Amino acid sequence: MSDNNKAVVDIDRSVYDIKDVENEQDFYRMEDGFTEDIVRKISEEKHDPEWMKKFRLDSLKIYNELEMPDWGPDTDELDMNLISSYVRSKSDMKGKWEDVPEDIKNTFERLGIPEAERESLAGVGAQYDSELVYHNVKDEVADQGVIYTDMESALTGEYSDMVHEYFMKLVPPTDHKYAALHGAVWSGGSFVYVPKGVKVDIPLQSYFRLNAAGAGQFEHTLIIVDEGADLHFIEGCSAPKYNVANLHAGCVELFVKKNARLRYSTIENWSKNMYNLNTKRALVEEGARMEWVSGSFGSHTSYLYPMTILKGDHSTMEYTGITFAGKGQNLDTGAKVVHQGKYTSSLISTKSISKSGGIGTYRSSVIINKEAKHAKTSVSCDSLMLDSISRADTIPGMDIRTNDADVGHEAKIGRISDEAVFYLMSRGLSEADARAMIVSGFANPVSKELPLEYAVEMNNLIKLEMSGG
Amino acid sequence: MSEQTLLKVQNLSASVEDLPILHDINLEIRPGETHVLMGPNGAGKSTLGYTLMGNPHYRVTNGTITFDGQDLTKEPADKRAKAGMFLSFQNPLEVPGISLGSFIRNAYHEQTGKPVKLLQYKKQLGEAMELLTMDDSYADRDLNVGFSGGEKKKAEILQMLMLKPKLAILDETDSGLDVDAVRTVSKGIQEYQKQKDGALLIITHSTKILEALHVDYTHVLVKGHIVTTGDGSLVEEINEHGFEKYVRCEGCDGCNPNN
Amino acid sequence: MDLNMKVNHLPALTYRFLKSNNSQIEINDLYIENTKTPEPENIPAAVSVKSDATEADVKAIFEDANNKIKAKKTELPGPNGDTAPLNDGQVVRTGMGVEIDNLMAEMNVPVTVITAAEGTEVKEPVFIRYALKDGDCVLGSQVIHALKGSEITVIMEYDSDTDAKGFIGIQTRLLAEEGAKINLIKVQMLSEGIMHFDDIGGVCEDKASIDSIGMQLGALNTWGGCRVTLLGRKSKFNNHTGYLCRHKQTYDMNYVADQMGEKTESEMIFRGVLLDEAQKIFRGTLDFKSGSAGSVGDEQEDTLLLSPDVVNRTMPMILCQEEDVDGRHGATIGQLGDDTLFYMQSRGIGEEEAKRLMIRARMESIARMIPDEALIIRIQQFIRTIL
Repeated sequence: MSDNNKAVVDIDRSVYDIKDVENEQDFYRMEDGFTEDIVRKISEEKHDPEWMKKFRLDSLKIYNELEMPDWGPDTDELDMNLISSYVRSKSDMKGKWEDVPEDIKNTFERLGIPEAERESLAGVGAQYDSELVYHNVKDEVADQGVIYTDMESALTGEYSDMVHEYFMKLVPPTDHKYAALHGAVWSGGSFVYVPKGVKVDIPLQSYFRLNAAGAGQFEHTLIIVDEGADLHFIEGCSAPKYNVANLHAGCVELFVKKNARLRYSTIENWSKNMYNLNTKRALVEEGARMEWVSGSFGSHTSYLYPMTILKGDHSTMEYTGITFAGKGQNLDTGAKVVHQGKYTSSLISTKSISKSGGIGTYRSSVIINKEAKHAKTSVSCDSLMLDSISRADTIPGMDIRTNDADVGHEAKIGRISDEAVFYLMSRGLSEADARAMIVSGFANPVSKELPLEYAVEMNNLIKLEMSGG
Repeated sequence: MSEQTLLKVQNLSASVEDLPILHDINLEIRPGETHVLMGPNGAGKSTLGYTLMGNPHYRVTNGTITFDGQDLTKEPADKRAKAGMFLSFQNPLEVPGISLGSFIRNAYHEQTGKPVKLLQYKKQLGEAMELLTMDDSYADRDLNVGFSGGEKKKAEILQMLMLKPKLAILDETDSGLDVDAVRTVSKGIQEYQKQKDGALLIITHSTKILEALHVDYTHVLVKGHIVTTGDGSLVEEINEHGFEKYVRCEGCDGCNPNN
Repeated sequence: MDLNMKVNHLPALTYRFLKSNNSQIEINDLYIENTKTPEPENIPAAVSVKSDATEADVKAIFEDANNKIKAKKTELPGPNGDTAPLNDGQVVRTGMGVEIDNLMAEMNVPVTVITAAEGTEVKEPVFIRYALKDGDCVLGSQVIHALKGSEITVIMEYDSDTDAKGFIGIQTRLLAEEGAKINLIKVQMLSEGIMHFDDIGGVCEDKASIDSIGMQLGALNTWGGCRVTLLGRKSKFNNHTGYLCRHKQTYDMNYVADQMGEKTESEMIFRGVLLDEAQKIFRGTLDFKSGSAGSVGDEQEDTLLLSPDVVNRTMPMILCQEEDVDGRHGATIGQLGDDTLFYMQSRGIGEEEAKRLMIRARMESIARMIPDEALIIRIQQFIRTIL
């Protein structure tokens, strides 16, 4: 790669890595660990309604009873006693960018968040550590009746009944250990409701920044797209690199009602000390469509498998994902789908790249229930190995319980072909540029699903990974 | 040739996935007649072939198909085959594990319900394969597996010769074949014509395959309508002038250009 | 005795809710009366048979290969949820795993060792025939050892009386030395009252190859495992499995191509049909280990589902620790396609007959690879009888 490009790349890295000093007088930090006492304190701090307080305590009990999964990446180095469940700025959430505290504003401005809002987003939420610090929805979108607010306001405000009805119903705390933990200590996140028939033309976005060392982020995202409505929601995540482990155990619950459509895009670039144990799930009703676009670049360790339940007849899902596992990373990602309705269809297409000792695992499950007559599924996963000290594993599972299903599965693993590198070099590219170009091409089916500025960001991340050790 | 009608298609309309393709088709074929169905790409020629044979993807929305006195409009393909209808596919099925020879034997048995006399069957098969210049070994090869385009077409004609249908619909049997292969396939068709009362509906958009065949009627299909019907000489006319005069009213879906 | 074993471990664990990480064999009140492998038939001059070898003898046979395997071990991390440590104690890693070794040891099962002399090529197959009578409970263990540059074909046939009830568990281990080739054919046509497991483990040295053909046509519950370690440079593993499960039959399998050497090749093909309330779980893994540069692997699964009550589980994995490899897996699962059915019908073949024809075609496409005409005819007859 030319020096010129390298310079650009280095600046990019520094953008994500700036650590903003959080002094005690401006920030509130919960003591480390997860005890009943701490959970009660969080609940108090957040003025929870009574049901939520009970929900948290019940979840904590479940958390203590459940075991860690035995099948995924190792999490031995994650010491839960050293994680703070709750860190927030002492200033309140702002609806105007100018009012956000200077230091936090600087962080987001370096990441280009307000700029993106002005240019191409219908609304933006920005979470800094455990709480949203900024939230804004464009007037024309709000006028359509679209609700986009932080979870805390939703919990106590006008929509409290709706939150009560849906909160952790799709991902119950009993689902797995980190779902239980989430139920106990969650804070922050967004609530979105798109009324019947409303099509939101431009995307809404949430940006998550975990700035504090040794902290956990447990935001909860609840989106309800009502009948016939249409929404694109974008999620971005980043954090500076610390030498201690950080934990992200968010939860995303998506309800896509009859004939609605939801696209959920994520570019995840957590720093490489992050344990990303996130749970995302969508319930898709009759004739509705769920689309996932997912790019996983950051984190030390990831367990991430967005799940779609195709409940209604003729509901469909499409998952497009890319994972780039570099040095020191163990990224275990993929998708899960359950076909319940008749004439449902799913399409999973993933790309995975492993380099410099990184471990990239594609893991999935496709379940077609007996009632899901005429279901159709197609899975295709490609892995690319860039050297021989890394790993690329493909671990799909299928459970088909009706004959009236059409199931196709394809997996490939390979390397960058010497011929392709030679061809590009014969056209004047350096070897490094040639390889980077081939990897970008490999990732293209994913980047073309993203809005332009995110596709550019993703390509920059790929370049960064290709040049870095 | 004015015997009783073998195939009678009345006011037939058909759709694929709710898209109407065929409109109000009327067609009569008597035993022993050779009909040619021509038309530009996308006119619905193959759709007509599939609809006549009863492909479930093609839904009859109106009209009837009567064959040999029976109304077959709603019958599945195997009933139609048993009644004596045959369709030569453009892309025939490949089945690993079952040989061409044993497939034909199975089909023959299913159609006639009679046990196959093995010696006589082998003799017939040998003769037909020789006529089609197919090597004996093809009978033992898996059905269409690894066959070239030409070999697949020959294998279809071979099945026609062995199963002796009353009406054979040949769907673009000549497409993608070289001159020699077209000649061979044509020889097979002539052999079938020699059979007593074997009727043919030849779907094609070229005229090469028709050179050595006697043609009784030619139909031109445009945008799902039979826009004109003539005798064998119409083939030559189209050969010279193409379909242009039949497709002149762009955007019009229902008129007859001869009016 | 009571059998209670965990077998067929996925090489890397996955979600627990898929219930596929391993399988449990639970059979109570089993009285094993026979542990001796039937006398192999049709033994050519170049082949020798020793019918009472011990596990120590087997260890000695594989010692050299095992040392080479040990020397290739690296410090690089295994896959997430690696199950290799569970089965590290095996003399030869097999598909079903260490608990089969433990059972054979506990029951003192003698090992029949079939050895092909160096440089000899024997085309005529050696036969081992099991014919079970009602109530028979059998264990058996064999080693097929092809010395340098030899080729040997062994056909194992499992038959039983109609309606016989019983049990038969077999372990067959293979060593193909440099340039040698082992063709192993196993055909199972047991009655539906019989429980059956069949465990295979093999090692291929430089330029050696193992070709295996398996046909599972009967029995009530079948567990099958096959793991071949492609240790040597340019070694090869080919597998063709055909299975037909109906009624309440189950087939539980675990196939692994463990590609260690440079430029190794594996090809695994699975063709099956599920009818009635049959259940099957397929685990198939291509494992490209560090050092397997230039290797290729291909795994294809094709399953025809012919009843609304079948359960089909499929776990096709590719594990990879080497850059310069080419691995692929494909699976097609579903009922008879509309186009297939229409073509058949257009030739006068009705739906039911078309299904029978397609079942026979699938089984036939595997059966015809067996180098024994008489056995192919027996298979055809067996299929005809049960359909």
